[in-house]
Amino acid sequence: MSLLEVKGINTFYGESQALWDVTFHVEKGTLVTLLGANGAGKTTTLKTICGLLKPESGEIIFSGEPIHTLPVHEIADRGITLIPEGRQLFPQMNVEENLLAGSYLKRAKKKRKENLERVYELFPVLKERRKQIAETLSGGEQQMLAIGRALMQDPQLIMFDEPSLGLAPILVQNVFSIIKDLHKRGATILLVEQNVNQAIKVADYCYVIENGRIVMEGTGAELEKDEKVREAYLGM
Amino acid sequence: MISLLPQALIDGILIGGIYITFAIGFSLAFGVMHIIDFAVGEWVMLGAFMGYYLNRWLGLDTVVFLPVVFVVFGFIGYILQPVIYKVLSGKRGNPHLMGLVFTFGLGLMFRGLGLTFFGFYSHSLKTFLSSGSFSLDLGSVFITIPTVRLAGLFYALIITFGLTYILKKTDFGIAARAVAQNRDAAGLMGVNIERISSFIYAIYVGISAMTGILIGSVFSINAQMGGKYTIMAFFVVVLAGMGYLAGVPWAAFLLGIVQAIFLIYFNPGWTLLAVFIILYVILLVSPKGLFGRGI
Repeated sequence: MSLLEVKGINTFYGESQALWDVTFHVEKGTLVTLLGANGAGKTTTLKTICGLLKPESGEIIFSGEPIHTLPVHEIADRGITLIPEGRQLFPQMNVEENLLAGSYLKRAKKKRKENLERVYELFPVLKERRKQIAETLSGGEQQMLAIGRALMQDPQLIMFDEPSLGLAPILVQNVFSIIKDLHKRGATILLVEQNVNQAIKVADYCYVIENGRIVMEGTGAELEKDEKVREAYLGM
Repeated sequence: MISLLPQALIDGILIGGIYITFAIGFSLAFGVMHIIDFAVGEWVMLGAFMGYYLNRWLGLDTVVFLPVVFVVFGFIGYILQPVIYKVLSGKRGNPHLMGLVFTFGLGLMFRGLGLTFFGFYSHSLKTFLSSGSFSLDLGSVFITIPTVRLAGLFYALIITFGLTYILKKTDFGIAARAVAQNRDAAGLMGVNIERISSFIYAIYVGISAMTGILIGSVFSINAQMGGKYTIMAFFVVVLAGMGYLAGVPWAAFLLGIVQAIFLIYFNPGWTLLAVFIILYVILLVSPKGLFGRGI
């Protein structure tokens, strides 16, 4: 049984349909990436999974239970976390308060101490700056804080929405090595990226989304061989 | 005339202190729920009358009823919040305007009910604090501080520090600030926004009503007093920057001092005019409030 199964979801923004019959699944312990151009429906897919948007039809099954009718906070409680595009930190709180907010859930609060230690071990710079206000951190540090805050939730599925967006090339490498590292430690990850070159390399399995529809799937190696993918996304 | 200045400043700080309490709740409710509650003055009025009637029926000192009023109105706020939430998250166009109109309507209704049931006469709340006062004789300067106003300032400090503690040090407070700073992200952290909103609205309504008792024992109460305090709360919060809590005390003290200076040096009737001219000028220079930190 897959950890996450998305079955034929259709999501609308008001009158206009953004997702058409999107179906895919994420196995436990794998790193799956959703590739596509701007406006293809990647962010919409993630927002629908975490409950910020509700699908008009279709099902989302997590750990064997349907979650698409639950409110956002209950989906979070089931163990899904999203590291949103643009970080979405709590700008006027300091680093540590942001992390504490991450462990607000009862089940996460129990592990607050050990998770906090783990996050500080993973990102020593956050420990150094734990009293600094989040909005005054650099872009890279903000991304680390956003990842750290998500880890505080003790999630079973981590979803990244464009984690490399707006970062300097060297930091992009850094973010991808963090993602690889989390994957190696056993985390299940759903990654959305425009940086297809990088994403294909770290992923176990890929889906390509175009105009709100899944149009192709396969392993990174398979997609790299595909003419259309090479032309459209890899610039080769 | 200059010898009256210290008295004016102290009066201002003492009055401003009382404004802090309901303005801070007003600002908090705005930050978390995105609602501008035009009924704030009516909560003050209703709380004051509850204190007045409890005192008349039970004969105990009005101050004793502070916690009672807080609990009763906190409960009212708690059960009213889902209705406001529904209005704000409804599918009608412009939900924020709907929220504004809704609370404005509530305020009018409360005022109408107040006039019907409490009459249009003014009353004053009696407490053991009302009679005493402290005097300071510094040679050329003579200052009088009524005990009840000093008590009001203490009350304001307790509320302010209490709320600050809750917001900074408890998980509930961190969640409330998270909702105010980034609603969607707070939801992703597992914060139940509706529940937090209910508690925040309860705290705000409870504090506002409780402050009514303090105001009633410093000034006087009548069914139409609410409008004035709605304007005061609005003034303080806009001056501080909408949703910027740390600015509220300073804005409240400023308002209190302006008011006291006009009472002593000019015509008291000009106070509101002066207050709005000041607000206008400050917003012209710094549209996000005194500190540039509002929304």
